[in-house]
Amino acid sequence: MKIVVAYAWAPDPQEASVGADGQVDFSRAKPVVSEYDAVAIEVGRQLATATSSALVGISVGGPATGTPVATKAALSRGLDEVMVASDAALADAGTTRTAQGLAAMVQRLGDVSVVLTGDSSVDSGSRMMPPVLAGLLGWPVLSDVQKVSVTADGVTVERLLREGVQQVSVTGPVVLALASDATQPKAPGMKDVLAAGKKPVTKLEVADLGPAVAEGTVVSTAKLTGPARKGIVINTADPAAAAAELVGALRAAGVIGSTGGQA
Amino acid sequence: MPFQLSDEQLLTRSAVREFAEAEILPIAAEIDRDHRAPLESIPKMGAQGLLGMIIPEKYEGAGSDYLSYMIAIEEVSRVCGTHGVMIEAHTSLASYPILHFGTEEQKMEFLPDLATGRKMGAFGLTEPEAGSDAANLKTTAVRDGDDWVINGQKIFITGGGYAKTFVVFARTNPDVPSHKGISAFIIDRDTPGFTIGENEQKLGIRGSSTTPLMFSDVRVPNSRMLGQPGQGFEVAMNTLDGGRTGIAAQALGIAQGAFEAALKYAQERVQFGKPLTTKQAIQRMLADMSTDLAAGRLLVYEAADLEDRGEEYAIPAARAKLFCGPMASRVTTQAIQIHGGNGYIMEYPVERMFRDARITEIYEGTNEVQRLVIAKSLLR
Ligand SMILES: Cc1cc2nc3c(=O)[nH]c(=O)nc-3n(C[C@H](O)[C@H](O)[C@H](O)COP(=O)(O)OP(=O)(O)OC[C@H]3O[C@@H](n4cnc5c(N)ncnc54)[C@H](O)[C@@H]3O)c2cc1C
Repeated sequence: MKIVVAYAWAPDPQEASVGADGQVDFSRAKPVVSEYDAVAIEVGRQLATATSSALVGISVGGPATGTPVATKAALSRGLDEVMVASDAALADAGTTRTAQGLAAMVQRLGDVSVVLTGDSSVDSGSRMMPPVLAGLLGWPVLSDVQKVSVTADGVTVERLLREGVQQVSVTGPVVLALASDATQPKAPGMKDVLAAGKKPVTKLEVADLGPAVAEGTVVSTAKLTGPARKGIVINTADPAAAAAELVGALRAAGVIGSTGGQA
Repeated sequence: MPFQLSDEQLLTRSAVREFAEAEILPIAAEIDRDHRAPLESIPKMGAQGLLGMIIPEKYEGAGSDYLSYMIAIEEVSRVCGTHGVMIEAHTSLASYPILHFGTEEQKMEFLPDLATGRKMGAFGLTEPEAGSDAANLKTTAVRDGDDWVINGQKIFITGGGYAKTFVVFARTNPDVPSHKGISAFIIDRDTPGFTIGENEQKLGIRGSSTTPLMFSDVRVPNSRMLGQPGQGFEVAMNTLDGGRTGIAAQALGIAQGAFEAALKYAQERVQFGKPLTTKQAIQRMLADMSTDLAAGRLLVYEAADLEDRGEEYAIPAARAKLFCGPMASRVTTQAIQIHGGNGYIMEYPVERMFRDARITEIYEGTNEVQRLVIAKSLLR
């Protein structure tokens, strides 16, 4: 039985800069195993060890994804082996094409019980990959997964939802998108770094992924915008007056109730 | 010399940075303020493989190359100089001489515990009357049957408070020229007659335990002699040759941490309506600091790379230490300057880095001693 983790070799958000116009600039950020995918690898490692399964990383991306430093970085986090397709033609592939490549890898590997992914891709934040991948595989998908345990015929997961903790059991293979705080990924140790170069890497060509289907890709073109800021400035020269003004403003906005408080 | 780090060296940097920022950075200011040795970090660093990097896998080490080990010290010191020297003294000063001068039995007995951090190591050379002039040491070891009986005192021993395995130098033959009559021993902390004094109160690297060692009729079996009788001074000097690169890496890391803090501060602090980074005087300091760091890094990496390739590295190591110690003092003082008043108070990390940097000009051979070593090689 195999447990698979889909991961991206993506620019490190810690090295991104935010311009005056609010746009995030990733151009000078070095690539890393995306931090949410590191969570998925860590959970996958625990699961694979508990069930004596092989833990296989899969990744589809531009040329950088297949460089030795990229595959070793992923392997040093605890994967047993990786399968990658890296090509200029895949660099800006949309969600559908990328998911199609990942699905082809899962099918090629065979005997896969669980595919784990991170919470969302850090760079676009679209959270579309897990459902598209599951759709292509014809498997169920669960998001916001906090905990996973393997059962005799499937998995039981805990999802942290706004309403509370939900427990779900699934039989058969499944795609699980982990919550970003499902676990704290552990930094690779020095032995892990050296062992990474000795683990198997399988490289696939673009043709191995099957012909690209007509893209139903969603491209977000608008800038991310939050609720408009009101720009209210409270003068703090007199703290008591400032507090009263703040409370008044919060009440007016309906953030706190207008009655029941002690004046 | 062109420098291209290997994948493993690059990944060592990112892995150690991730670990250091998660596990060491959160306690760096507190252990400095309280002069507290961070014992809780020892098992964590051990599990990470940071306490046995240059020890072969056969002895439970990671088997990393020397340059990766320098990168690790640099990255740890970038957030905390204390943790940097804890790793350095344990590895370069205690484990290294056992690896290079030990018998196979000694290696099998001591290295696995050291490489995993189950036991920490320390190096006892300096004495009240023998600092730079280490060959003048007065501690004696007298043969008695199958044992040696050791008497004397050491001072300023890094890790004294928590180490279990000590590499200690003592005079075994008073009748030959001073440096020829010294031998090295591996001594367990719990040996009767061996006592460890109070921690020194220090300017910097305050979390690193620095203590005197007292030996009163301490019996050590002959099987615990490290190297041959009379080879002790050579063991010490050879150990310090490599240790110098380690301290240079510590200095480099401290300076790097201070530079990054100063750059960030300069970008955020607004005076006269614009960020400090718009002032030429500040830009000039930042440019000088980054140039200093780049030069120091090349010297450290070159010395480590020579050691990895089995070439002569003692003089490059001395040069790296002679440059990086004062460089770290320079860069950390500029980092304070860029922070203005905030640089002088404990809420910001640069005053700690400034204090931590200073020792790198003193221990494992002062600046003056490095100059002696380098000049001697030029004039021979
Ligand atoms: C925090 C800390 C940790 C330490 N850790 C260890 C450890 O783990 N193990 C260990 O064995 N030791 C350790 N030491 C000792 C350290 O290595 C010595 O302090 C150092 O070598 C200098 O010796 P000294 O203090 O006796 O100074 P001295 O030798 O007395 O030197 C005083 C000054 O004179 C200069 N000087 C001396 N001789 C000459 C010369 N011939 N020509 C020109 N100038 C000269 C020196 O450069 C210095 O400026 C540590 C020291 C400290 C402070």
